[in-house]
Amino acid sequence: MYWNRPARQSFKHHTTPRCSPKGETLDFRARLIMFLLASLTATLAACNRQPSTDKETVALIPMGSTDEFWKSVHAGGVQASQKLGVNIIWQGPIRRDDRTAQIDVVESMIVRGVKGIVLAPIDNMALRAPVEDAYRNKIPVVIIDSNLNSDKSVSFVATDNYKGGVMAGEHMIKLLSGKGRVAMLRNVEGSASTDNRERGFLDALKNAPGIKVVSSNLYAGATTESAYKQSENLLAPLKTAQGEIGLDGIFCPNESSAFGMLRALQDGDLTGKVKFIGFDSSEKLVEGLERGHMDALVVQDPVRMGYLGVEKLVAHIHGKKIEKRIDVPATLVTRENLKEKSIKELVAPDIKKWLAE
Amino acid sequence: MNKQLKDWMNKLMPLAALILVYLIFAFIAPPSFISLKNLELIVRQTTIVGIASLGMTLVIIGGGIDLSVGSIVALVTVAIAWLLMTGSSPLVAALGGVLTGLLCGLINGALITRLKLVPFIITLGTLLVYRGCAKGLAHEQKIDAPLSWINELLAALKPEQSWMLVPGGVWLLILLAICVTLVLRYTRFGLYTFSIGSNEQASRLCGVPIEKVKLLIYGISGLFAGFAGLMQFSRLTVGDPTVASGLELDVIAAVVIGGGSLAGGEGSVLGTILGALIMTVIRSGCTQMGLSNWVQEIVTGIIIVVAVVLDRMRHSQKP
Amino acid sequence: MSKAQRLKLENIKVRFGGTVALDGVDFAVAPGEIVALIGENGAGKSTLMKVLSGAIIPNDGSMTLDGKPFAPSNPEEARHRGIAMIYQELSLPSTLTVQDNIFLGMELSKSFFGINWILDRAKMRSTAETALKELGHEIPLNTLVRDLSISDQQLVEIARARAVGCEVLILDEPTSSITRQDVQRLFTLMRNLKAQGHSIIYISHFLEEIEEIADRFVVLRDGKTVGGGKMGETTHDEIVALMVGRQLTDLYPKSKHEFGETLLELNSLVGEARLRSASFQLRRGEVLGIFGLVGSGRTELIRSIFGLDSIKSGEIKIGTYSGYATPTQRWSQGVGIVSEDRKGEGLAITRTIAENLVLSYPQSCETSGVFSPSRMLATANTWVEKLSVKCRTSEQKIGKLSGGNQQKIALARLLHHRVDVLLLDEPTRGIDVGSKKQIYEQIDSLACSGKAVLIVSSYLPELLGTCDRIAVMNRGKLSEPKSVEELSEHSVMMEAIA
Repeated sequence: MYWNRPARQSFKHHTTPRCSPKGETLDFRARLIMFLLASLTATLAACNRQPSTDKETVALIPMGSTDEFWKSVHAGGVQASQKLGVNIIWQGPIRRDDRTAQIDVVESMIVRGVKGIVLAPIDNMALRAPVEDAYRNKIPVVIIDSNLNSDKSVSFVATDNYKGGVMAGEHMIKLLSGKGRVAMLRNVEGSASTDNRERGFLDALKNAPGIKVVSSNLYAGATTESAYKQSENLLAPLKTAQGEIGLDGIFCPNESSAFGMLRALQDGDLTGKVKFIGFDSSEKLVEGLERGHMDALVVQDPVRMGYLGVEKLVAHIHGKKIEKRIDVPATLVTRENLKEKSIKELVAPDIKKWLAE
Repeated sequence: MNKQLKDWMNKLMPLAALILVYLIFAFIAPPSFISLKNLELIVRQTTIVGIASLGMTLVIIGGGIDLSVGSIVALVTVAIAWLLMTGSSPLVAALGGVLTGLLCGLINGALITRLKLVPFIITLGTLLVYRGCAKGLAHEQKIDAPLSWINELLAALKPEQSWMLVPGGVWLLILLAICVTLVLRYTRFGLYTFSIGSNEQASRLCGVPIEKVKLLIYGISGLFAGFAGLMQFSRLTVGDPTVASGLELDVIAAVVIGGGSLAGGEGSVLGTILGALIMTVIRSGCTQMGLSNWVQEIVTGIIIVVAVVLDRMRHSQKP
Repeated sequence: MSKAQRLKLENIKVRFGGTVALDGVDFAVAPGEIVALIGENGAGKSTLMKVLSGAIIPNDGSMTLDGKPFAPSNPEEARHRGIAMIYQELSLPSTLTVQDNIFLGMELSKSFFGINWILDRAKMRSTAETALKELGHEIPLNTLVRDLSISDQQLVEIARARAVGCEVLILDEPTSSITRQDVQRLFTLMRNLKAQGHSIIYISHFLEEIEEIADRFVVLRDGKTVGGGKMGETTHDEIVALMVGRQLTDLYPKSKHEFGETLLELNSLVGEARLRSASFQLRRGEVLGIFGLVGSGRTELIRSIFGLDSIKSGEIKIGTYSGYATPTQRWSQGVGIVSEDRKGEGLAITRTIAENLVLSYPQSCETSGVFSPSRMLATANTWVEKLSVKCRTSEQKIGKLSGGNQQKIALARLLHHRVDVLLLDEPTRGIDVGSKKQIYEQIDSLACSGKAVLIVSSYLPELLGTCDRIAVMNRGKLSEPKSVEELSEHSVMMEAIA
């Protein structure tokens, strides 16, 4: 740092005099600060994708901003906003469990005076206060994906998980022609959405007296790793001495448990010997479906969820009455319908088209 | 330039920076940015970091560091939620939470003074320990708690409360800030804190009871983390063992932007509060402009470095 | 001048903002010559050294080296041109080895794939060995510098300068923290270097040493060259007169001291490391000196008394108190200490004069538990005035003061605390003559007012000049104190090195 070195002044000695030290240091400092400020302002201004003010602005606040599911929701939201002619602000916490960050975003949007908010609350309790604050400020809030313990929201747009479970159960009955031994690997304790899927699945099987549920009390845990281990634990006692398995069907209620089970089946050389239905999609699961290692996936439609969230919010703003509960139907994906265009869009939506920068 | 004027200008540097950042956003952000409501929001969002950074100011002036504040905050929210769930009154729960913070801080202080290890290592350890305690107490889940007046502390003011100007939590921040300022200036403890941070050996030689002072410093840091945890709970309404991870870095940044020196012996309460405000203004401005998270992270990072560079420059003016 | 000068400075001026640090310095050194640069602290010696080493660029004036213009813009350039600084506070990275230190910044490298980037350790090793051997000393090259004594570290610094072929060596106060023996070793070395044609600029406060080693001297005062001459032709008093600008008749004032009851008593005190046994009694009104070489355990002795180092056995009695106590307790028992390590332990350099002054006794500025900054300032101002400390205000950072003024504050701390027993460890190390005189006066008047003073020093004349009795520390053992009348410089030194 040469500006803290004093007395850097003309040294009359064969060289031309340098500029005065005072002038040089101050000048340099001033230039440094000016440069930093200018670049800061420029950066901000350049990043400023602030929507023009002649359109109505709504905020779409996801749980996290990095994973595929939420990008699909974003794509749906953008789709709806373009169709309806509104501006959309997409902002959420980076981490999916950062409740405080999401509260901050909701509050900022209230202060910013958006016309309405579409919110996927990370927590059914913690987001109550900001949503009620929005209500006081007459900003309507539509909840998507996961419910909030509050009656101050306009509507709740989400997949009916129970129905999704029933859909899986009915397909299982069809696959087994009404009789056989079935196991279910649960997700984690205390997760409302997957609880409902599990309940729906088991309820559906009650209609087929020929089907016997041999295991439904194991929990996969939060990671693929733990799901893999629990899958092995589930399968081990059912194996026969000949390497066959005394099991005809398996259901896993979410992506990580399904993937863990898929790996366990593949490693145990049991693929194709058991009918296997999963929930939610991912590249690996779709590949499993294509190779015949899985038989069906119950898939949600995040694009549609984003689309409906924004559409219903705008409808409410324009004074239309909308239902308190809107279902985003789940779809059953099988090897047969995988080639269909609508299904393809569902398992691999064209997000880029809508999120083009 | 007049020397005294210069001193004053140095002291006002963080304030000037705050005004500057505010004006930049006032210029480029949506008009709602300069609304009174947004000002209220900014101070509300500063409260948690602000309160925790008051304690950190003492720690950093004393030449130490406390990396465990984020974890203490999480543990405190869980403790409060747990107490409320098990039927304690909100007052008892709030007190219990704050005392949990104090206890954590005292443990830090005791370990640092007894084991004679650098605070960085000790608090890096307790960062994990307290986070683990929080997760264990909450069984790795959030704890829902019934609503109570605690949740009003940092909530947006209802129209009928407008006489309060800002929510109770912000008043608590102001009150605590004044307390710390007075303590630093008008008590022996304050003098000792500065001297230990500047030169621990010299302080020992002068008979400063270093162990006691350090224990107190970390205890206060923990206590303030406890208050910050209370505020965090007020905002969350649930006890969340994963909350406030990385908060310690925001808190340290606030102190450093405000002129605190990590080498110890320097720092001021006013500077710290201004530092915390600067970071919230950036965050708030970026959010309202609809900018991505990464932009505000870059901007905050630049501000920290620029603040420290400016600080170094003004300290090295004299040979 | 008849001889061709190696380094020549003419009318060098340096200003920092409004203050003038150098106001026309003329200076020259020839090959094979040792020139002493003398001046009080603040006279501008350090600034001049910084100009020579390229750390400061002067505002005016000219410099030539071997007849060619010399205007280094940074220390590396100065070193490449052959000018090496050996600083008062040694600047070696302590966790590197001797060999790495010698070549730091000037590493020898060899080519690999056409680029010079592989360290040539073998060549460095042999060069370093030669350099050290030429100096006549053997230090294992892979020793860590922190494990060396200060005088060995100096050797490494000099070897460092030699290894890269520096012809002009500047030694800044090299003897202030080394023992007599090592001083002699250093002087022999300097004479060798001189014989080889090196130019040496030697900065020191010790006139005796300068008389012994230097050929010529140049005196700086207030940033100007005020005089100089051949060493043999000028008397001690004349040099001092040039330095202070006044005749300094008696450096060591000494009144008749009245001894009272015993305040500090040690009985066969044994420390954890070097201190093997120490016993003495220090009475009210008495100044007791402890002389010892570096490493003899003299500093450990004073630190043990104050509770800064732990003790193994023995007894410390202070007034009616006995036994081990913490520094906090010692202060409250009426004991105060001035550390030999001003920056490291004595003062909180980044805090104000006032805070440093009242740090041991903040209670004096309290009203019912509330500390009053304004009272602290008033207190500090009183002392600043009493001891004529040169500073802008007492709110100034103490690090900005000169060493002498810093030391006055360190001493004022004890005066303000009104302690009865003063433990002074090297109280005049590295400070100017004017401040020294003031400190000697203070010590004398303290003794007259019935305080007990213990001084540890490696500068014999000051002990003989200020003390009533002197004890000698030799390899951890403290001798029986003897009255100064019975002692001479020679006899004390004999006892210290026996």
